[in-house]
Amino acid sequence: MGLIKKLSVWIGYLVALLVAPLFFDSILAISILNQMTIAIIFALSYNMLLGQGGMLSFGHAVYFGLGGFLAVHALILIEHETVFFSITFIPAIGGIIGLLAAVFIGSFSTRKAGTVFAMISLGIGELVASSSLIFSDFFGGEAGISGDRTFGPLFFGFDFAQNIEIYYLSAVWVFIATIFMYLFTQTPAGRMANAVRENPERAEFIGYSARKVRFISFCASGLFAGIAGGLFALNYEFITEENLNAITSGRVLLMAYIGGLGYFIGPIIGAVILTLMNSLLSNYSELWMLYLGIMFLLTVMFLPKGFAGFIMMHQTAWVKGSLKQLAVPYLITGIPALLFSTACVAIIEMSASEEEVFHYLGMELNPHSIFTWVIAIIIVVASFYATRRSLLQLANAWESANEIPDSKDSES
Amino acid sequence: MSIILSLNNVRKNFGATEIIRGVSLDIKRGEKHAIIGPNGAGKSTLYHLISGRHNVTSGTIKFKDKEIQNKPPFEIARLGLARSFQVTNIFPRLNVFENIRCALLWSNDYRYSFWHLLGKQTELNEKAMHVLEQIGLKDKALYPSGELAYAQQRALELGIAVASDAELIMLDEPVAGMSHSEAENAVELIKRITQGKTLIMVEHDMNIVFDVADRISVLVYGELIATDEPKNIRANQKVQEAYLGEVATSA
Repeated sequence: MGLIKKLSVWIGYLVALLVAPLFFDSILAISILNQMTIAIIFALSYNMLLGQGGMLSFGHAVYFGLGGFLAVHALILIEHETVFFSITFIPAIGGIIGLLAAVFIGSFSTRKAGTVFAMISLGIGELVASSSLIFSDFFGGEAGISGDRTFGPLFFGFDFAQNIEIYYLSAVWVFIATIFMYLFTQTPAGRMANAVRENPERAEFIGYSARKVRFISFCASGLFAGIAGGLFALNYEFITEENLNAITSGRVLLMAYIGGLGYFIGPIIGAVILTLMNSLLSNYSELWMLYLGIMFLLTVMFLPKGFAGFIMMHQTAWVKGSLKQLAVPYLITGIPALLFSTACVAIIEMSASEEEVFHYLGMELNPHSIFTWVIAIIIVVASFYATRRSLLQLANAWESANEIPDSKDSES
Repeated sequence: MSIILSLNNVRKNFGATEIIRGVSLDIKRGEKHAIIGPNGAGKSTLYHLISGRHNVTSGTIKFKDKEIQNKPPFEIARLGLARSFQVTNIFPRLNVFENIRCALLWSNDYRYSFWHLLGKQTELNEKAMHVLEQIGLKDKALYPSGELAYAQQRALELGIAVASDAELIMLDEPVAGMSHSEAENAVELIKRITQGKTLIMVEHDMNIVFDVADRISVLVYGELIATDEPKNIRANQKVQEAYLGEVATSA
């Protein structure tokens, strides 16, 4: 019973991975799904550092990118028939390179956690990114390097020319990688990573070198980041300096943080959300990075445990069966809050827009008319006020939904 | 009785200030030894020197005939020397059970393993539950340890120190800040779980010291002025002047 319950999450995860392209089958959707699988492994590997090991890294893209570069080189070697193996194993090559890089860099960067570690990771990130532009024979300079995944032996008849074939290959890799990253958290090394994050000093007094514990997590994290890089190489068939520089490092930090560092599932949620924003929002607005930044700020300030933490907050109410009590209060606060955000977005977009007529939610607004601005500002102010006013009822509803009735086993 | 821990002319300077000024002390295997002294005498510093948190300036510390001075804490801990802290020093966001289980890992030979699944280590998990039972926190096993009441956190602190079944246990003011009844319980607990082991204890409460200790050392301004059985310490003129007298007059 317990086993089935435990496995049900994994079965659900596998099914979701496998059926997703049946529901979202456009070319764009498949491409987004492919990006998601890469992002999920990458974000989970990042959380091995930050969430589980307490190591704030600003240079995690190094392992992703190096894995990816070597993977593209492997594709080129396969194409030139220097080596002969199926491209399905390319992510493993990425993983090995990520691991080797992590073994080398981790040997000195994991000496301390905290600021020292963060600064070293930043330095290494910059170092590798700028080196990659200098050593252009290997990294291809600004243009990067590209390969072709359709060479080499067929894998059970597949040549992986189609994106959907790559998706299923990625789905298998992401599923296996997720299982192993989860299992790692359940081992002595994984648990001691938590202990060292909490209290490195005490960990040393129970027999563990905090540095070595960090080093092991760091290497495991590099391995999985490299696998993600290998999948990236297979999916895009090219890789550039941008994939190992600070932008990519920053993005994976955002994914893990917005998803929720304290939960294993958090980075998965973050990877899905950010990939969606990255691919969809960018079609609608050039300012999508601004919205991403605002979302990150709001998450840090109001949801420090991320989206996963927000979902888990409702556990008590769920167990109590009082979740439905929260529906109406959420709506009462949610509607003005939504109005507030749409009005804010309108103002931001109008400020940035250079056109005569601004199309927004089916309306035609004139950004040069004072009238439009006055209306928009009135909506912003009014909806902000309404949201503020409604917070009290939400807080009260929250309290009553989570109230634990006095029972025999409650603590006296 | 053989000697388990031997300090030979240990000195420690912080800058120009000499905190520990040539301490020599032999702890016998199996004894309960209390270290007392006024505030600022250097008791905690002495603990830090023995357990590896600080390096000594000079002198040697031998544990089971191996020199351990200036070794990192984890190497000393692996030899079988465990300690608790004056200020509660636990893993606050791990639950109570995990705190104890982590403390058991090294001594049960799991080392840095990433191929054992903790959930399947029945023997290890039973041991952890057994320790929880001893320290009276079994019903709090899944509670985040940072949210425990103070006395319970102190009990957990003790549990982490004794879990690994170390031969020598060093407790730093284990009952500080507890109410009278809590302290009584804690002393019973300490006696119970350190049975058959060597215990060194820093404590300010003289009733507890004279109740628990087989021998007492008195540390004043970084120097040991006496090491003896409780009744001789009570009678010792120097100790009375330096320490007990101070208590007697102020009481």
